[in-house]
Amino acid sequence: MKSETGFDHKLYERFPTEGERPEGELEALEKVWCGPKGWGWFTAINNNYVGILFIGAAFLFFTLAGILALVMRTQLAVPDAGFVGVDTYNQLFTMHGTIMMFLFAVPMVEALAVLLLPQVLGARDLPFPRLGAYALWAYLVGGLIFFCSIFFSLAPDGGWFMYPPLTSKTYSPGINADFWLLGIGFIEISAIAGAIEIIVGVMRTRAPGMTLAKMPIFAWAMLIFAVMIIIAFPSVILATTLMELERLFDWPFFDAARGGDPLLWQHLFWFFGHPEVYIIFLPAAGAMSTMIPVIARHRLVGHPLVVMAMLATGFISFGVWSHHMFTTGMPTMSVGFFSAASMAVSLPAGVQVFAWIATMAAGKMRFNVPGLFILGGLLIFVMGGLTGVMVAMAPFDWVVHDTYFIVAHLHYVLIGGMVFPVFAAIYYWTPFAGRRRLSERTGKIAFWLMFTGMHVTFLPMHLTGLMGMPRRVFTYLPDRGLDLVNLISTVGAFLFALGVLAVIIDLVRNFRPATEGNAGNVFDSPGLEWLPSGLYSTRSIPVVKSLYPLWDNPELMREVKEGRYFLPGTATGERETLITSPLNAEPQYVARMPTPSPWHFWGAIFTAVFFMLLVPSAYGPAAVAGVIAVVCLMGWAWKLDEPMSAETVDVGAGIRLPTYGVGSTSHGWWAMTILLFVAGVVAAMSMFSYVFLWSRRPDTWIDPPAMWSLIVVVGGYVLSIALMLGARKVVRLDRPRMAMIATGMVVLAWAAMAAAWRIDWVTWSGAGLDPTRSGQGATVFSFIGWQGFYVIVCALMTLYVVMRWLRGRVSPARPTSYDVITLFFVFVAAQAGLAALLTRLFPGVVL
Amino acid sequence: MTSPPISMSTEAFAGWPPPALTSAGPFAAPLVTLSWGVFAMAAVVLLIVIAALVLALFGREDLKAKIGNQRLIWYAGLAFPVVVLSALLIWGLSLTSALTGEPEPGEMRVRVTGEMWWWRVAYLNPEGGEAGAVQSANEVRIPVGEPVTFELESADVIHSFWVPRLGPKLDMIPGRTNILRLQADEAGTYGGQCAEYCGGPHALMGLVVVAMPRDEFDAWMAEQGEAAAAPTDALAAQGLEVFQDNGCGACHVVRGAPGASGLAGPDLTHVGSRRTIGAGILPNNRGTLAGWIADSQGIKPGNRMPSYTTLSGDELQAVAAYLDGLE
Amino acid sequence: MNGTGATGMVLMALALAACSGAGETRTRAVPSGDPERGLRIMNEVGCGSCHAIPGIDWPQGRVGPPLSGMGGRALIGSGLPNRPETLIPYLMNAPVADPGSAMPPMPISEEEARDIAAYLYEH
Repeated sequence: MKSETGFDHKLYERFPTEGERPEGELEALEKVWCGPKGWGWFTAINNNYVGILFIGAAFLFFTLAGILALVMRTQLAVPDAGFVGVDTYNQLFTMHGTIMMFLFAVPMVEALAVLLLPQVLGARDLPFPRLGAYALWAYLVGGLIFFCSIFFSLAPDGGWFMYPPLTSKTYSPGINADFWLLGIGFIEISAIAGAIEIIVGVMRTRAPGMTLAKMPIFAWAMLIFAVMIIIAFPSVILATTLMELERLFDWPFFDAARGGDPLLWQHLFWFFGHPEVYIIFLPAAGAMSTMIPVIARHRLVGHPLVVMAMLATGFISFGVWSHHMFTTGMPTMSVGFFSAASMAVSLPAGVQVFAWIATMAAGKMRFNVPGLFILGGLLIFVMGGLTGVMVAMAPFDWVVHDTYFIVAHLHYVLIGGMVFPVFAAIYYWTPFAGRRRLSERTGKIAFWLMFTGMHVTFLPMHLTGLMGMPRRVFTYLPDRGLDLVNLISTVGAFLFALGVLAVIIDLVRNFRPATEGNAGNVFDSPGLEWLPSGLYSTRSIPVVKSLYPLWDNPELMREVKEGRYFLPGTATGERETLITSPLNAEPQYVARMPTPSPWHFWGAIFTAVFFMLLVPSAYGPAAVAGVIAVVCLMGWAWKLDEPMSAETVDVGAGIRLPTYGVGSTSHGWWAMTILLFVAGVVAAMSMFSYVFLWSRRPDTWIDPPAMWSLIVVVGGYVLSIALMLGARKVVRLDRPRMAMIATGMVVLAWAAMAAAWRIDWVTWSGAGLDPTRSGQGATVFSFIGWQGFYVIVCALMTLYVVMRWLRGRVSPARPTSYDVITLFFVFVAAQAGLAALLTRLFPGVVL
Repeated sequence: MTSPPISMSTEAFAGWPPPALTSAGPFAAPLVTLSWGVFAMAAVVLLIVIAALVLALFGREDLKAKIGNQRLIWYAGLAFPVVVLSALLIWGLSLTSALTGEPEPGEMRVRVTGEMWWWRVAYLNPEGGEAGAVQSANEVRIPVGEPVTFELESADVIHSFWVPRLGPKLDMIPGRTNILRLQADEAGTYGGQCAEYCGGPHALMGLVVVAMPRDEFDAWMAEQGEAAAAPTDALAAQGLEVFQDNGCGACHVVRGAPGASGLAGPDLTHVGSRRTIGAGILPNNRGTLAGWIADSQGIKPGNRMPSYTTLSGDELQAVAAYLDGLE
Repeated sequence: MNGTGATGMVLMALALAACSGAGETRTRAVPSGDPERGLRIMNEVGCGSCHAIPGIDWPQGRVGPPLSGMGGRALIGSGLPNRPETLIPYLMNAPVADPGSAMPPMPISEEEARDIAAYLYEH
């Protein structure tokens, strides 16, 4: 194989090493990785802790949203029941959908990644453990506050899709809708943080030798999942921001009377909302493809096909969003495109389903609890997929859209495609995460209750829909024939709930979290996560030679445990992991890993509190919380570029690697690039919104400000970019005063950016553009508003640079902070320049 | 006793046989055929998957070996679905074009505007405008056997217009006009329902479409064009006074009644001739009118009409008689 | 409320109390009516918009009195004796049968009113 980085593959042959390991090596490893004790537990960042807490939190929200569903089914058990009133009911279904999608499904699969990925990849931990812990705490605290709104009748009631104008200030004057917008907007941030963590983790922390061809299917699924998140979530972040701006400042993005369009929301929402379904499904499918070979005792048939299918799903799923809008009166051409794409997206699902069946046929399936949940999930998912193909046909969708038929369809897809695989995963991976496995007996009872309950609930709903019952109704009238079908569904819902209760009882009785000394490889699985492990993950990081390492090398367990591979101890004396190259996983450098800290914890708490205080417009307290959060985040960032004691270290068998990555080799650079990609998608969707609203009401648009102002604005941004690129060069020069010059250049770059931004703003106002008067005003000022946010972030970064210079922490050998900040500045200035060009040249000059 | 026994046409809203599968016109019939087609497709595919699964789990070893390889993925997972889906796609797309065709010139046009939580109905004049157009609410009458163009609009939030036995559903979106064509082949009453969640009592936003033979329809339309007749008996005359004294005209139009020109609520000029009140949820007679006026919030919580709890029994009698007489 | 009305209410209350104590001894019936059809007719004409009626889930009106236990009541309306021959005309045209009643005339035939009365006396 050709080397990707110049690393000599022959060096792999030095492993496993021979001879005794030095005394105290393991103890030193245990010492640096040992978790915080007592009251400090919340500062823990090891993926073992964070992952289990994360899964627990997601499971909690699953249970809570399930209870809301039971209340709804009770209300609908008989016609015109008075169990809950119409206002409460509208909040219930909004919260059920929102929590299941945002607080259960996405976090649950992300949590599985946090818990399992490092071990699956053979890493010590995920590359940014504090970021993972931050995402957990922000999500848990914010989610709980969000949930509690239901107890005060303050919960959102506009449906999980929050269509304006129903959710506008006019028709939803209370703060209920703001709870959704701010609560969800910020949980999305947590999801993106997790996605960045996963992408960098999969691309850069795989065990040496784990090329893309030898990468486990679970890692593929998580990688595609995370990439989909960073493409899809920016759209809903933009949508929620625009709607909050409309509600707060009366900027008419979605108000048709003033040049907005309610359909803009639907496009932005579903551009996120449909990929979301596959975002949830893919990791679960990855878990299925991981578990089935084990339960059936046969390698996955068609592994490359399954990988291709998952990639195809990710790709096609971004072309199907408008199938949620077939009844909005779309042009026939668009209907045709989205109809075809929606059908095409079922092909890769078919490939996976038959790959699973082929694997079962090639092996011999075991009917243990994971096996049952896998089979049940497969069957339910296929049924949901078939109704999915039906509704992909626009004319059929016109019949069943927004009826209970769709309720049935989506629950079949999500329960079969995600919930059952997750329950299989819980039973399959508890021996990894706990000291005992769960009970086969209780698990089987749970499975049959859930499987039966699922069909009893949702199978009749297909009929209920065809009988004319629309979705999202707090009641139905008697004498319309709907009584019996609804009663059956209610009975089924309680059966399903009993099944979940059985699992909870099983967890309470048998799940004992273990950071070391887990139950072991009870299913005889081939994955690296089943290597003997502790808080430090595996004792040594093996060289991966196949897709099924534990099956192909029965000695691997022992060799790894004896420390015969990479990093058998701690090479730097600190927490560390191997950073490897993206394609071939060749070792590149040893990355220092952070230690437990209160900074990210309090940062997360105050971020959540900040957003939640914005809901009741408590701007004073919110500002305080915001400042505390920023201080915490800066405290967190402060020690990122600490010098290491040694330039290179021995990572085992005499192979020496640097302790620091520079430029595009560094994993920090990767994270920043992905973050900027997210911001870039937001900018692109903003530009789409701008053009979309222009196409609706061009008559209300005014001429842009004079051309000279465009030149000044763009000139300012170009100057800012030039100064930053210069500063990045200067800081690398090992000469006196260079640190001061570089710092000065950053300050000037910021000043140029801020000036350009201010001129942009003032000249538009001078041209008579009013954000409350037209779609043009609203979108142009939303560009300026976003830019204002970035200017503030850049100001904080400038402050950080200045403080580090004052404390003498700038070093030419460790320029990663500078590189990362430069990247950010260049991006911000470039996108602002592009936005200025777009808004001032189109329409008019260019068209 | 003022009018002959009328049925609230509960059968118009009956859930059995499923209205979405019981077409009553040429815009719904192909949808029913399509529905049965896709159900059959789903049944066949599901059986194939189950058969493959059963074979994979319990089959004889030699049979298992036949399907336990990549060929199964290529044939069953890819080739077969491509064929099935292509066929369905062609069917679906041809139907899409057929059902969204341009209205014929001279076709009757009705503008239905969704409002929270009822439907404003205007029978457009031949120029397609509302000048002189007959106004109504929550009930659309159409001639049997003729395609009718519905211009669907919204006055506030998004609603969706759906009469399952007559055709597809289509959203009503602020700032847009969506065109839907429906036709009923038999005289009768067809229930409809708002399908897009529109807040509050969305569940109780129904309507009826009444199809009548052409000559009856013309006669009915001519009557609707007239202003409301003056009350003929003392009770109804007293009812008109109650109507005016309580400011009902601030929200309701009764053409011919002084001061009754409010546009917030349904036009009541010929309310007595309608089948339902409260947007397709109650039969229309003096009793239900009285009940609705006295306690509309109890019947349809959250709707925009307040309960007139201060009316005395006599006043209630009178105003119900007056409205019932507005035929 | 006039004196008769108040007396009627008191009597009705007494009758109800007596009824609950004395069981079904004073229940009335309309043997010639079809109670099932009566319920259907009440649904069709929407009696529920003013009355809470046993067997009708929706609506359960609050404008008029609830109609449960009609078989045991002594009086109807503003003090009419509760007998089939008064109840049936009352159902059809209350203002004529009982001037001063707030209940409007209902669009039902005598036969339909008989069926309704049969249902109300049974429940």
